[in-house]
Amino acid sequence: MVSPILLIAVPLALAFITPLLAFVSKKLAGYVPVVAMAFNLALAAHLLPEAIAKPIIVRTAGLAPPFSIHLVAGPLGIVLSMLIALVGLLVAIYALGYIHQGPVVKYHTLYLLLLTAATGIVLTGDLFNLFVFFEILCISSYALVGYRGDRASVEAAAKYIIQGAIGSSLILVGIGFIYGLFGTLSMADIARNITTVSPMNVFISMAFLITGFGVEGAIFPLNAWLPDAHSSAPSSISAILSGIAIKMGIYAMARVLFTIYGAESIMLFVAVLGLLTLLIGEACAFSQTNIKRLLAYSSIGQVGLIVFAFGMASVIGIEAALFLIISHALAKAILFMSTGYMIERTGSMEISALQGIGRSMPLSALFFTIGAFSLVGLPPFVGFPSKFMVIRAALENADMVFSILIGVALLGTVIEGAYFFRIVQALFFKEPADNPASTEPTNPNGSKGQGAPVSALIPIGILVALIVVLGIWPQIVSEVLRPAATELLNRVEYIRSVLG
Amino acid sequence: MSFLDSYIHYIACFALVFIGLYVVLVKSNLIKVIIGISLIDTGVNLFLISVGYIHAGTAPIFSEAAQRPQQMVDPVPQALVLTAIVIGVSVLALALSIAIRLYGHYGTLDLRKIKELRW
Repeated sequence: MVSPILLIAVPLALAFITPLLAFVSKKLAGYVPVVAMAFNLALAAHLLPEAIAKPIIVRTAGLAPPFSIHLVAGPLGIVLSMLIALVGLLVAIYALGYIHQGPVVKYHTLYLLLLTAATGIVLTGDLFNLFVFFEILCISSYALVGYRGDRASVEAAAKYIIQGAIGSSLILVGIGFIYGLFGTLSMADIARNITTVSPMNVFISMAFLITGFGVEGAIFPLNAWLPDAHSSAPSSISAILSGIAIKMGIYAMARVLFTIYGAESIMLFVAVLGLLTLLIGEACAFSQTNIKRLLAYSSIGQVGLIVFAFGMASVIGIEAALFLIISHALAKAILFMSTGYMIERTGSMEISALQGIGRSMPLSALFFTIGAFSLVGLPPFVGFPSKFMVIRAALENADMVFSILIGVALLGTVIEGAYFFRIVQALFFKEPADNPASTEPTNPNGSKGQGAPVSALIPIGILVALIVVLGIWPQIVSEVLRPAATELLNRVEYIRSVLG
Repeated sequence: MSFLDSYIHYIACFALVFIGLYVVLVKSNLIKVIIGISLIDTGVNLFLISVGYIHAGTAPIFSEAAQRPQQMVDPVPQALVLTAIVIGVSVLALALSIAIRLYGHYGTLDLRKIKELRW
């Protein structure tokens, strides 16, 4: 049997080999993330049937679970690490051509570290280990946001690092409270003993943890950093930040709420918070004229919908949330990657400058359109079954209030449709803007009017194919998501499988 | 032992955290904000240490047969704090290097002047 620990160990080792390889050849460094993520994808796919049958527990120091750090590779962890590896692989291929200036080697090292940390977050069974991986994720994304080193990106990185550092401190305070109460850091062991202490003490630690994870997850009052960070990072990084990094905040929150606390009573509050995030994100996105900021705000909106689905706290609700995580990661990766070259060719992020680009870059514009349609939730793309599942979950929920809330959530989707259709219309049906600023060539190896290179179109094309296939046959995913959702909701089973 | 005696270290470390938060929220100089983050970090680390602290305890090493585990300080929080310190230092270093870059672009560290107030 292959141990799931290799999912973390191999990319981590390769991340630090990257700078050494760069001594031999700079070109080689870019291929390291591709190799690492291809390995992870294959290994995770290999482990999936086993993990669905029974969660794989990995001991690290040779001690049985309550002691020492352990990994829990359940269906949820393996599915999410597959998603991370898939998106990471395709974005890494895209970055081979896209990232050609600046400290390229450092970019690939940090990129691989970010994905390693994300994989670690979804696999770990230890609360402090979760925090450590979370910090690796945050630190590498701070550095990658400031990758370009120009005014906007450095300012965004400064904003991000200040808010992120405070969020991390809050997580640590929460962990301190939990350790003081239970004397253990194993999530299963804490979950087993959670009823032995007074609810007030439990609540304080929960508030700290949720607030801390909420900063990275961009929940409504804590998301001021996101639009700047996502819009000024290179497009390949925006794709990963939007598709993977913020989902890790949401995952950590869900894991803590469901597995450790089993907090059913607070879930309505979480759902309302998600709804607020959704409406505010979509409303802000509607008024944007900068395409990357628009996509960033739309990420906030989607995160809100995911949190709302988690807030339903039923198996189908969580299944819908996980499905949304997958569909949003795929669609946002397409959107950011296809806008990457449009921005590079026109030299501007304003939507008005991109008018009529569907004529000069037909494939990029077509892929963008498919990604946008999937995000809005049109059939036959994957966004449709995932949003449909959220609605079904809300209507089937025993609590009538969710039927009302989903109506408000659909309003958010309508706003989303409005602004995405506006962009698609601008891309295809408007005359190209004739302002001189947009026509000057901004990069030496390509002039305006040239499409994106093949190395960029192939990964986007694969994602588009996946979106269509999963949209037509959603049961491929939903069959795997059922056990994953059960793992998150069924605490007793989780505790038993970890502690034996 | 009075209330103050047994809780004084918790009060102290949360005071540090709140001083740090105050600095981050109120000061407009980026270096001061980073100092505030460092203060929060220190407060949190002290909190973790005091969670595992036992008054007049010993190190958790069985050097003599007479030592009992009840008298030993919990080593786990100390290990956690070691990790947390390393993480804190790297965040601090990154934040300071970003501050240098920011100074290079704007010629000032005043956050009110740097912020382009986009929302």
